[in-house]
Amino acid sequence: MEKKGARNFFIWGTVICTAVFIWLTIDTHTTIPKRTNTDKLTDEVVKGKRVWHKHNCNDCHTILGIGGYYSPDVTKTYSTKGETWLKAFLKNPESTDPQRRKMPNQKLTNDEINELIVFLKWVDAIDTNQWPPKPITVAKTTGVALEETTRTLLGKNLYNQNRCDLCHRIGGQGGVIGPDLSKVGGKYDPQWLARKIKDPKSVNPTTQMPAYPQLSDNEIEALVSFLTGLR
Amino acid sequence: MREGNMTYESQKVAIKYFVISAVFFGLQVVVGLLLAAKYIWPDPLIGFLPFNTARAIHTNLLVVWMIFGFMGGTYYIVPEESGTELFSKGLANLQFWLLLLGGLVGVVGFLFGWTAGRPLLELPVELKWAVVLVVLIFIFNVFFTMIRTKKWTVIQGMLLGGIVMLAVMWLFGIPFFKNLTLDYYYWWWVIHLWVEGAFELIAASLMAFVLLKITGVDRQVIEKWLYIEVALVLITGIIGTGHHYYWIGTPNYWLWWGGIFSALEPLPILFMVFDTLNHVRHRKLEVTNRLALYWAIGCAIFHFIGAGVWGMLHTLPQVNRWTHGTQVTTSHGHMAFFGAYAMLILTVIYYALPKLKGLVQFNQKRGFWAFWITTITMMMIGLAFGVAGLIQSYMQRGLGIEFLTVQGFMRPWMMGVFFTGLGFFVGVLIYVVDVLTLVTKKA
Repeated sequence: MEKKGARNFFIWGTVICTAVFIWLTIDTHTTIPKRTNTDKLTDEVVKGKRVWHKHNCNDCHTILGIGGYYSPDVTKTYSTKGETWLKAFLKNPESTDPQRRKMPNQKLTNDEINELIVFLKWVDAIDTNQWPPKPITVAKTTGVALEETTRTLLGKNLYNQNRCDLCHRIGGQGGVIGPDLSKVGGKYDPQWLARKIKDPKSVNPTTQMPAYPQLSDNEIEALVSFLTGLR
Repeated sequence: MREGNMTYESQKVAIKYFVISAVFFGLQVVVGLLLAAKYIWPDPLIGFLPFNTARAIHTNLLVVWMIFGFMGGTYYIVPEESGTELFSKGLANLQFWLLLLGGLVGVVGFLFGWTAGRPLLELPVELKWAVVLVVLIFIFNVFFTMIRTKKWTVIQGMLLGGIVMLAVMWLFGIPFFKNLTLDYYYWWWVIHLWVEGAFELIAASLMAFVLLKITGVDRQVIEKWLYIEVALVLITGIIGTGHHYYWIGTPNYWLWWGGIFSALEPLPILFMVFDTLNHVRHRKLEVTNRLALYWAIGCAIFHFIGAGVWGMLHTLPQVNRWTHGTQVTTSHGHMAFFGAYAMLILTVIYYALPKLKGLVQFNQKRGFWAFWITTITMMMIGLAFGVAGLIQSYMQRGLGIEFLTVQGFMRPWMMGVFFTGLGFFVGVLIYVVDVLTLVTKKA
């Protein structure tokens, strides 16, 4: 190819590809109202988006898979964690475990928290072509949905913070060293569970499970009320 | 070609651009180490410099030092290509100080929470418009230098095209979007069309110039290849933007458009490797600045591995479905930016700086140390991020294990990033010291 041919290749290649790209962009715009439910994109959602920007959440968290990779993706947080959990978490996100990566308290007002949740709810419904994908191992859900009280939510947080999921699994998620806890609430009574957590060897001398003396009675009670809800 | 000398007095404005480019590179790496540490150990700085602020500083320093490098390179090359002094040395100096001031205000602003809160485009809207002003001064100055003699070389034309594209795409990053999907749709017009469009144009032109000068290969040949490469970059890269439109709420035909065109994206880079090696093989001059030659060849190869191969592998929709939003992206980002642009800017600086100082010979030992240390450690950083990312993709996406639990399994590899990162920092430090030594040297 001579220089003139190379030049024509450059000019026409660029022009045609730009034209195709602009055509695709225009077509994409026509699909946005349906795919992102723009009828539900209220002023409150926009306010929530501004809260999201104001605190630069996106440089730790990803959303739609884009952003910082330091913290969990929030695209489906609304449907996986639920409104009650989100409210409690956004009010005070700091975990009690010093070893665990922690989110600084953003000191959000109640209005800001509500707006942010409405924003996340809107994001949750965006048609993302099934992303994030369902895990390969199909998660077995527990029989009954968890009753979300302050008590059970505290228990769920404690379960996460103490990394019980490293050994145990619930609904197919977690480790394989300890027994499956998906239906543990139907198998043991609360007193037995409390004793097992406080001093595992008192129940089964050969168990590998460590004791959790750092948990207060109140915390153990919360953890047990979370576990008894798993049926 | 006159050996050991620049031709025009006004080319000297490039020196201060190069110095800031090098210093900011060093600072960027320091903040990068801090970020890696936050993945591994509990964070004592969380109240003052949390991860998000540090990340904003890390990425913006990168953009700023690259822009300084590109601008310095442009100010060095345009007078020589046009055969005239710069239109205005005063404007070039003014523009330098404005950009430096803007960059510093931006970084300090981040520390106080002054941010637009969009990844990579964190600069608040006021500063974004200030950047537009600075870039307009730059384009004005470059353009009026070029039309003084109207010697429209292909290198010049591509360079100007790249700068204008850079400025135009930037505008799409300024408005506030109510709809998150559209927000990210146009966010990629800045991010992707910069790195796989405007940056490539600028980089390819600068590289063509350096190769022309150090190998003495016929301009007709070099410029023909420049056309072909840039054509392929734009043909694959523009529609290739689609590989970012798989999962953000845009239609699923993007999986096809994005998938096919980004599968072709390594092609132009492969051409660059062949073309660079070819020019070097058929060189008509004896290469005295072997260091610049090493950076140039290294750049072509690293560009191909980091941006081309690694980029292509995880933009295939079937792979990206699992790796999207994991450390795999970080791995690619680090290797691609280093290979495609950091090494290119270092090539230009190691070519131009000795000439600007009128040094026929200079001690290249430090430069070679910097070359080997940074390239090897960056390869290791990329691998460590990559393994962390594969663990994350498998455990978190594949097995559905909770995010922070998986982070625990990735910890050893993030330590790998940190400790090889320390090595990388040593290499960069040697480079910064070398630049400062060259700058302060008397001819």
